[in-house]
Amino acid sequence: MSIGRDDVLHVAKLAELAVHERDLDRLVGQLNRIVDYVAQLDQVPGDGTADAFLPGPQQVTLREDVPGSVPLARPPAAIAPEFADGFFLVPRHGAMEDL
Amino acid sequence: MSAAAVARETGARLAAAEAAGLNATLHWSQALLDAEAKRVGAMPAAGPLAGMPIAIKDNIVTTDAPTTCASRILEGYVSPFDATAVTRLRAAGAMIAAKANMDEFAMGSSTEHSAFGRVRHPLDPSRVPGGSSGGSAALVAAGVVPAALGSETGGSVRQPASFCGIVGVKPSYGRVSRFGLVAFGSSLDCISVFGRTVDDAARVLGAMSGHDPLDSTTIPRGPMAVPAALPDLRGLRVGLPREYFPADLHPGIAAGMERTKAAVRQLGAELVEVSLPNSAYAVPTYYIVAPAEAAANLARYDGVRYGPRKVGPEGDIRALYQATRGEGFGPEVQRRILVGTYVLSAGYYDAYYRKAQRVRARIADDFRRAFAGGVDLLLTPTTPTPAFRAGEKTEDPVAMYLADVFVCAISLAGLPALSIPVGRDEGLPVGAQLIAPFFEDERMLAAAGAIERVVAGDAEVR
Repeated sequence: MSIGRDDVLHVAKLAELAVHERDLDRLVGQLNRIVDYVAQLDQVPGDGTADAFLPGPQQVTLREDVPGSVPLARPPAAIAPEFADGFFLVPRHGAMEDL
Repeated sequence: MSAAAVARETGARLAAAEAAGLNATLHWSQALLDAEAKRVGAMPAAGPLAGMPIAIKDNIVTTDAPTTCASRILEGYVSPFDATAVTRLRAAGAMIAAKANMDEFAMGSSTEHSAFGRVRHPLDPSRVPGGSSGGSAALVAAGVVPAALGSETGGSVRQPASFCGIVGVKPSYGRVSRFGLVAFGSSLDCISVFGRTVDDAARVLGAMSGHDPLDSTTIPRGPMAVPAALPDLRGLRVGLPREYFPADLHPGIAAGMERTKAAVRQLGAELVEVSLPNSAYAVPTYYIVAPAEAAANLARYDGVRYGPRKVGPEGDIRALYQATRGEGFGPEVQRRILVGTYVLSAGYYDAYYRKAQRVRARIADDFRRAFAGGVDLLLTPTTPTPAFRAGEKTEDPVAMYLADVFVCAISLAGLPALSIPVGRDEGLPVGAQLIAPFFEDERMLAAAGAIERVVAGDAEVR
């Protein structure tokens, strides 16, 4: 399967990633190299019924449903660039400035 | 020696390593070291790690220093909480000595993909220390700290441990809390440990292991008891998977494995050949599963919630996301996000991601069958070659990925494994890997302690 420039641009858009025109040919080459390499999994005999494997506990243990929070080293006001009345302040859409 | 004296000595070593151009640290200061020593000195009882300076990979959050994951996109970020592993190490009396350089977001096998410059191999600055936890490995190998934390997604502690001639231990998945470990591949990520000796690494692992209510993927069991090195290996059956000993194995690695096998036999263990046929597909499986999970996990870095922000040409929110991510992520991270997004996208999900999940199940099943067949441990090389030269593999991503050919199957299966130094080839370290059944970390460490005692890790192998 071959990946072209339009495929890279489409995937970059899905990934919310600005790709420079100058990097495009290099990315097309590298992505084709990677996708061609992983395609060798087609050689593994088909096993349509096999379950996906996930490591870890058989059953996830949930903690008590008690309201609480992780103790913070600093209060939210000290973490946020701007904070007022219990809210994080963010720039208004369309009015953002380069920080 | 008092904690204050250790802190001063560690500071002097960190400064010397920096002056030598190792580039293994992203943040440390004598003031922070002194504060750690004061805290440890004031503890009512000496903990099991009292006064031990430990370096922390920069994807494990700490409240007193920035956590950047070696990425521009997190430049200057300081976490408001400590990772559980860090909290437990501090409670055990350890001193957090430094934040260590790494491949950006733990994506790489050479620590050349850091936004803050590559890490040099402590024995040969023209070579790489391995990755992605290369800064942590280099600090331990250079004698700056006796132990360091790294993280493993597909071998990122065992591989640099092998390259640098130190011990690297990846615990069973779920043995150590990931609360505060910046997520890369959530079904694979494990906080892991480097030590100068098996005992150093085991003591650190013991102190930070155990169930954590803040991480539902931890197994609900207590901390690991630190095992003593076995006096010998009598009664143990050690499996040699034939797929991990190819005919074209690097001669230095092959010679290192021959002397390791001889030592294991001399210690009384029985060596038996086993087969793990699907391990041949581990690297391609890993490079579908891990980028897919990374593409999802790294979606949170958008210029709104963390780090610097870049406004795009359109001035709207999507342009802000795209510009911030396009400039904030380095080339390898961008490549993996693109691959991960591609294999999850409509029309390709079944062909790549679903297929990889099924092959992953077959890889894990091979290990299960080998252990069920009466093998107690598996022994393999850790890496296909000793440390390679910087720049040798940066142009071809697949060549770089193949540096992990002997380590990533174990990560896919969630098993514990470690690398111990078993000699040097033309001055470069060679590592051997021990693999144990799930949650048999203690057995693996106890056996490694016995092997470490009889194999001279700094002797030439041929």
